[in-house]
Amino acid sequence: MSSVELRKVDKHYAGYHALKAVDLRIEKGEFVVMVGPSGCGKSTLLKTIAGLETINSGQVVINGRDVTREEPGDRGIAMVFQSYALYPHMTVAENMGFGLRMAKRPKAEIDAAVKRAAQILRLEEQLDKRPKQLSGGQRQRVAIGRAITRSPEVFLFDEPLSNLDAALRTQMRVELSSLHAQLGSTMVYVTHDQIEAMTMADRIVVLNKGRVEQVGSPLELYANPANIFVAGFLGAPRMNFIEARVETVGAGEITLTAAGMPALAFGGIDGLSAGDAVTVGIRPENLHLVEAANARQASFPGQVRLVEHLGRETVLYLDASPLQATNSDSGTGNFTVQLNKVSPISVGAQLTAGFDLADAYLFGPDGRTLTPRKPVPAT
Amino acid sequence: MPRFWRRHRHWLTPALFLLPGLILFSLVILAASVETVWISLHEWDGIGAKTWVGLANYAELAEDPQFYVSLKNNVIWLLIFMLAPPIGLALALIVNQQIRGMRILKSLFFVPLVLATVTVGVVFGWVYDPTFGLLQLIFGLFGATAPALLSDENFATFAVAAAALWPQIAFCMVLFLAGLNNLDEDLIGAGRVDGARGWRMLRHVVLPQLSQVGFIAIAVTVIGALRSFDMVAVMTTGGPYGSSTVLAYQMYEESIFSYRFGYGAAIATVLFVIMSAFIAWYLHGLIKAERSNA
Repeated sequence: MSSVELRKVDKHYAGYHALKAVDLRIEKGEFVVMVGPSGCGKSTLLKTIAGLETINSGQVVINGRDVTREEPGDRGIAMVFQSYALYPHMTVAENMGFGLRMAKRPKAEIDAAVKRAAQILRLEEQLDKRPKQLSGGQRQRVAIGRAITRSPEVFLFDEPLSNLDAALRTQMRVELSSLHAQLGSTMVYVTHDQIEAMTMADRIVVLNKGRVEQVGSPLELYANPANIFVAGFLGAPRMNFIEARVETVGAGEITLTAAGMPALAFGGIDGLSAGDAVTVGIRPENLHLVEAANARQASFPGQVRLVEHLGRETVLYLDASPLQATNSDSGTGNFTVQLNKVSPISVGAQLTAGFDLADAYLFGPDGRTLTPRKPVPAT
Repeated sequence: MPRFWRRHRHWLTPALFLLPGLILFSLVILAASVETVWISLHEWDGIGAKTWVGLANYAELAEDPQFYVSLKNNVIWLLIFMLAPPIGLALALIVNQQIRGMRILKSLFFVPLVLATVTVGVVFGWVYDPTFGLLQLIFGLFGATAPALLSDENFATFAVAAAALWPQIAFCMVLFLAGLNNLDEDLIGAGRVDGARGWRMLRHVVLPQLSQVGFIAIAVTVIGALRSFDMVAVMTTGGPYGSSTVLAYQMYEESIFSYRFGYGAAIATVLFVIMSAFIAWYLHGLIKAERSNA
């Protein structure tokens, strides 16, 4: 039995279709991360599970029980808000015990639950303080503690780390992952940060414009994005895209042309005909610098516009015109190359970048991925 | 000149901006208050020479039964006015519901705020009219005769204060409506997830967030009750037999009608001292709130 199930969930605001027939199953004990750009409906979807948003049609099922019409407090969920949403007039202990108090549990039980949660989150020293007296990281812990004391079936997290600074964010990420391992509860986590998604999730749900684009394990989505949106959204630095046109369709092989590049030959692709506009995708880490063009490799010249030295890695931003390239990190006409070494290359250098066609993705006119499945690295 | 300006403008600019306000405040508030205290130590008819009498006006005040009637009436006003914050809160909670037609209802509740106090007084004067008033119409339905509230020394103060309560409730309602608009939506959400609803949501999650607004509503209401004057002037002129007068009105009466400006000033000074206590409490609360927000 799945822990959370959404069946054809539809949500309209005035003149705005926020969720479009969302179907999703979340298994017991899973850590599911919902990602997407702002406005994609991920927070709305989470609030739908919580019951803080009503839906226009569809069903929300938690632990096999249809809770579509139930109040949030009756759904067996707990939620951690982006703003923490701690009650400012209550102490840390009162904040954490509030849910049990509302459920009219005996005081001894509340105290024990608060104490246990405080122990897990190292908040024993702070129990008598008010939220105002705590640091951002501590407030975040209290918000999580408030969720833990209710021992819910499902934890819901709405961008819980976005108000923390970078160092604390990394630390809380690790703590949340180990908390999940410790409690074994189902967790649904919303973020726009793909690093959080890649590092914490058992499964990632990629949302775009109120629709589920793809669901799968982080590495599966990374290796085999279902479409150009998922391909462009996951991965840092982001994937480069090249506009191309189908030149010839032969037996088991098609050739493409792209402005400023020799013809590219792809095998094992069906459903295209000559003249179709397609997009070639290549991740920055699959690009390398080459001396000269060769047969199995695509290559193109470019001029270095910007160099980022990240220690072990070097990221180059290339002006690759006349290639029709886009990269959402660096903009139209630009290409991102990630080298796994320190490089002496400086701004203005002319160079040739190349990639193996086996590493490239091909997206059809409708944006769907056409290249055959790539192997997913074992974990 | 430009050099002088450049060297001193860091303090000259704010000083120049503050100057008009400071001059007005010193003249209208500070100088007038000091002058009032000074006058209260004299016997003065408002035109002729002032005669120094020391604290004689205050000694007389302490013996004056009318002063105690006024003081008692001010307390009654205060107690009746204390109904305004809770009723205003209740109305704000009702009007704040997302129900069709609530907007019209909301604007209807705003009406008394727009009316001049004198208008409210006149309107309620008609309501209380024992022959043709609304009150008489209601009593008439049950075959009873309405009491002549404003000419009955036992009811007059209550009737006037009740009339003044109407706009005060509207004012408190507006304050609480503003507060309700500023509620933290996530906190309400957290409360719902924690299973709080109805009365317990109100008590544990909503009301604590309104404590700031509530404090302001109470403070403004207290001051409003203490400085009540216009309604008394319009509805009863302190009568019958001075039974519905309040300190502010008695001060006015002694000064303007009895030409006893010294005695009136003494009443004003006493009222000022009482007010100061509440204002000090109000400022203390405001500063405390500001500190805890910083």
